Amino acid sequence: MFPKELQFSLSRPINDVIDWIVVQYGESFERFSDFLLTILIFFEDLLRDTPWWLFLSVVFCLTFYISRKWTLCAFICGLFFLIGVLGLWDKAMQSLSLMLVATGFSIIIGIPIGVLLSRSERIRKVCLPLLDVMQTMPSFVYLIPALMLFGLGKVPAIFATMIYALPPLIRLTDLGIRLVDKDVLEAAKAFGVSNREKLWGIELPLAFPNIMAGINQTTMMALSMVVIASMIGARGLGEQVLMGIQRLDVGKGTEAGIAIVAIAVILDRFTQSLGKKIKSSYS
Amino acid sequence: MVVFIKYLKSLKRFFLGSGLFLVWSVFCFIFSHPTLIAASAKCELKRPIRFAGLDWDSNIFLTEVAKFIVEASYGCETESVPGTSLPLLAGMMKKDVDVMMEVWLDNVKEAWNKGIKDGSVVNLGVTFKGAVQGFYVPRYLIEGDKKRGIKAAAPDLVSVSDLPKYKKLFKDREEPEKGRFYNCILGWSCEVINSNKLKAYGLDEHYTNFRPGTGAALAAAISSAYKRGKPFVGYYWEPTWILGKYDMVMLKEPKYNDKDWSTLIDQKAKNPVGVAYPVKDIYLGASKDFYDQAPKLVSFFKAFEVTKDQINEALAMMEEEGLSHKAAAIKFLQKYPTHWKSWLGATEAAKVDEKLGQNS
Repeated sequence: MFPKELQFSLSRPINDVIDWIVVQYGESFERFSDFLLTILIFFEDLLRDTPWWLFLSVVFCLTFYISRKWTLCAFICGLFFLIGVLGLWDKAMQSLSLMLVATGFSIIIGIPIGVLLSRSERIRKVCLPLLDVMQTMPSFVYLIPALMLFGLGKVPAIFATMIYALPPLIRLTDLGIRLVDKDVLEAAKAFGVSNREKLWGIELPLAFPNIMAGINQTTMMALSMVVIASMIGARGLGEQVLMGIQRLDVGKGTEAGIAIVAIAVILDRFTQSLGKKIKSSYS
Repeated sequence: MVVFIKYLKSLKRFFLGSGLFLVWSVFCFIFSHPTLIAASAKCELKRPIRFAGLDWDSNIFLTEVAKFIVEASYGCETESVPGTSLPLLAGMMKKDVDVMMEVWLDNVKEAWNKGIKDGSVVNLGVTFKGAVQGFYVPRYLIEGDKKRGIKAAAPDLVSVSDLPKYKKLFKDREEPEKGRFYNCILGWSCEVINSNKLKAYGLDEHYTNFRPGTGAALAAAISSAYKRGKPFVGYYWEPTWILGKYDMVMLKEPKYNDKDWSTLIDQKAKNPVGVAYPVKDIYLGASKDFYDQAPKLVSFFKAFEVTKDQINEALAMMEEEGLSHKAAAIKFLQKYPTHWKSWLGATEAAKVDEKLGQNS
């Protein structure tokens, strides 16, 4: 046993701080969460209210525009159709919208941070351990305080998803820019390229495959959070999985699990061909 | 070949050296491990007793009390199998779980009756009496709270039939035209019952049926609302630290009767009729297998009974002082020695006393 005299509990002070924040700043957090909520609900309504055939046709056209492959289009639409057949269309749209918004925010936040990291060794040294913490800290630890501040439901779910899904994008953006050939940068410098031109014209395009891999990873990780998100009341496929487990209804859980896997495959193929498309348009 | 033999020899030397060390460490481990020393009291079971690890506080607390006693006095090892009511009950029928400290009979009626019928589970009597479940709102919503400067936002809220009037007060930010009703935890039987009740009371048009995925989420929602003096309406139950600590009022519902109740527990009920939850006693369940193998332990579990107030007190203390369930169990045993000694024979009680002495 570790000596009792040396033990010190952090839990009391942490609890007190959380309580204090909840009472003092609860209102302003709630206003911020309302803002997030409007964006989210807009997306959700859009996806849920679109008739399924229209949704499938849009997906079909979009995929064809990006990949120019009939087989891929048919495959992706087939998977969406499967979700519909399983009777999980509405739930899947709820999960999808939550995930897309979380991924969207992750991209908006993640890529600039990644660029920042690649610029400064010092920032990098501070940020990398932080990213490790974000990925390893069990999500329930920050979920409960987050939901005390933002209320139960979708908003804390987005937060949890972003905390978990953001790190790979930041890491891969950073890595991609670092891997840009030094000779190319040297040459650019010789031509008198400004910093901004260097970033947008050389580094980002050359780092693009890595950034795309990061976005792909982020999407997958965001999707893997849907079950956790349902534990704090975000509706969707995760809810079905959770209910299946808790009621010992293995069939129901498996159905929802299949739907989640289907969405994962769809998004994976989609982002991959999007990456190829943009890459080919650069060269 | 020669090289191979040489290789074998060096391997042998290596294993001899490390083997000795291994034996020594196993030796140390065996003789320093507390549960194995305790096992000298000889348990009726050759394996650990498996408790149903239902994840709400009162059950964890009661399980810790029982664990402490059977470890100290009967020399048994114990473990908890985590899960929720129905899966654990199914586990008990398949002999994977030995004892469930809290069986909420009405919530798991079908499964339990099936188990009793085919003889795979046994009822070991009351664990505690008078468990209450229902729809709660904080008292300050109805009466206001002068000390905290909260005005009564819903002075006429008395029964569930008043809820439609107040749907704006309980606004669901995700669906602003409706109120939010916090249902019981997703997948628990009470979630089905409450969903039927919403339908029966016609509340489903005015309120979203919000189902938190875990007990922690529901508790956090209540305590966050309470600390800020905000509105909240939802399901909760007693004994819990939430109702021990926060002043909440239960909304009135039509009086309980068996006939209407049977429509509420049916997952596919078309026209459910709403009635209040019955105030019922909570029972201790065991698997038939355990019942046959361990008669002495069974007689202890049969005698085991606490009061609702004792649980409320322990849970509130646990929450306020930041104690673990186990620490709360030990405090309970220290505070009510005459109570628990009535469950045990003199020699067993002495052993528990001895172990309590070591822990204080």
